[in-house]
Amino acid sequence: MNIIEITGLSKVYDANTMPVYALNGVDLAFQQGEFTCIVGPSGSGKTTMLNMLGGLDSPSSGKIMIDNTDITGLTSRQLINFRLRNIGFVFQSFNLIPVLTARENVEFIMQLQGVNKDQRDQRTLELLDSVGLNDKINTRPNKLSGGQQQRVAVARALASKPKFILADEPTANLDSKSAEILLEIMEKLNREEKITFIFSTHDSRVVAKARRVVTLEDGKILSDVSSTRPGS
Amino acid sequence: MIFIIAFKNVWRNKVRSLIVIASITLGLTGGIFTVSIITGMVEQKIRSGINNEVSHIQVHNPEFLKNYESKYDIPKADSIAGIISNIPLVKAVCTRSRITGMAASPNAAAGIQIMGVDPAREKKVFSLYTTIPDSSGGYFSSTRKNQVVIGRKLADKLKVRMKSKIVLRFQGSDGILYEAAFSITGIFASANSVFDETNVFVRKSDLDKIMGGNCGIQEIAMVLNDNNSIPAVEQALKSKLPGLLVQNWMNIRPDMSMVTSAIAIEVYVILGIILFALAFGIVNTMLMIVFERTRELGMLMAVGMSKSRVFRMIMLETIFLTLIGGIIGMVLSSALIALFSRHGIDLSDFSKGLGAFGFDPKIYPFIKKELYFNLSIMIVLTGILSAVVPARKALKLKPVEAIRIE
Repeated sequence: MNIIEITGLSKVYDANTMPVYALNGVDLAFQQGEFTCIVGPSGSGKTTMLNMLGGLDSPSSGKIMIDNTDITGLTSRQLINFRLRNIGFVFQSFNLIPVLTARENVEFIMQLQGVNKDQRDQRTLELLDSVGLNDKINTRPNKLSGGQQQRVAVARALASKPKFILADEPTANLDSKSAEILLEIMEKLNREEKITFIFSTHDSRVVAKARRVVTLEDGKILSDVSSTRPGS
Repeated sequence: MIFIIAFKNVWRNKVRSLIVIASITLGLTGGIFTVSIITGMVEQKIRSGINNEVSHIQVHNPEFLKNYESKYDIPKADSIAGIISNIPLVKAVCTRSRITGMAASPNAAAGIQIMGVDPAREKKVFSLYTTIPDSSGGYFSSTRKNQVVIGRKLADKLKVRMKSKIVLRFQGSDGILYEAAFSITGIFASANSVFDETNVFVRKSDLDKIMGGNCGIQEIAMVLNDNNSIPAVEQALKSKLPGLLVQNWMNIRPDMSMVTSAIAIEVYVILGIILFALAFGIVNTMLMIVFERTRELGMLMAVGMSKSRVFRMIMLETIFLTLIGGIIGMVLSSALIALFSRHGIDLSDFSKGLGAFGFDPKIYPFIKKELYFNLSIMIVLTGILSAVVPARKALKLKPVEAIRIE
């Protein structure tokens, strides 16, 4: 079942003077439970694609249907609410709230959703446990390593029970060991809980774990390769 | 949670926040303390004016106040005073003869107002006697006839001292010119040097003897148990005494009343200007904070924090910052006021100038409690207004651009 369907998606900058196509008529679909990498050289349109999927940027033309909702037709306010309830984000530079502990960072999203305290507490502990940080729940980001911060970010992205998680270069600021641990956690969550992950990355370690690799070049899909891996 | 994040954000850059808080604290402490000195001066002036000069309510023959002619006295003044003293809200009543005249010593002469009083009743209404220093005699403490109590300023002008004799000349209600020598037995020094220079007090019984019993009563003065009863008693007297003029202290001394109203406004103007100036510093700091946290604010909007919540968060941070400084400023100024109100601030060096305007040279700072309540609202409003610019700046951020800013 497709949870995301992209049709004729284009993003043009300087449309009137010297048009530059960040995305050029992309058609793509993602299914529930995918572990997909979007790769390509710098300027190929990976980040633009992720921004569009996350409702952070609007396309020049085309449609993005997420769970039967065309998000290109939503107002800015509706988009914020849509993101809160349907999309999880993991950023390259972690972007945790520095004044909050790991537990509060995860809980914060559920508070925005209006989840009650008991459910929040239970889910926060489960999520931090699932990313292997149950001993750091009351630690602030500045006392955590980069890898640990990114694991908190993954737990935060999962907190809202999103339909999918967008991860923009999640391992770019991590050492190899931390990146390995993070990827194993995300792969496990995908395998066991059918969480859909869509990455934009240059990192070959991430690509090696992906079961589908979409390659972009000059705003177009160059290739879309799926592989069946053990445990999928 | 927004509340908690906003509060914690205030302490992210402790040094910067403390500098802003310190500037608010010092600004407000200075402002409130200045206001308390001004208010204290005015309160003392009014209290001293009521206690020494005018009392709460006075009754006159309406014609008397036009030219202060003693022939316009109050008929049956003693029985009216008796009726007034039976009103439960009235604490004490006295009657006075008021005659315009001249005081002359061998050295000089001056125009004065002669007050013919019954010392025992007078002391229940006015506390002028308390301003007589121990070294300057007393308030009709002996039964000797023709005693006069004068002000320090008049004594200096006439170049007389205790036990000196002065001659009082005045025209009676019968048109006859009287004069008599009086011995100075007390010299008072109220806060109002003009009052001290123009008023002398003698026994009414002495005036009666000099004038052959023709000395009428031109003034009935009273004090009430409570300031708030003034309108009610004034109204009651107006209906009971239709032919007479009943006035409260604000009507009698519009200058005192005007100073009170002017100060009430001035206090808020001073504090408003201080808060307005502080608001610029707060706006500057908050703008810096928004610029520094652009990526974080972008992230918050990206993960689903609505713009109204972001707006509220910046608002709350600014209000917290302002309130913390404001509360410390109010506490500090309260402590300063409490300290100085006990011992007073001695401005004797400027006493000549202050006395001319009826101000006591020793000032006891004072602040009305409701000022703190109103000031708290003003501080919160300053916080809200200061937050508008930075909060709007935050709202204009586009998450897609903001999360990429390093």
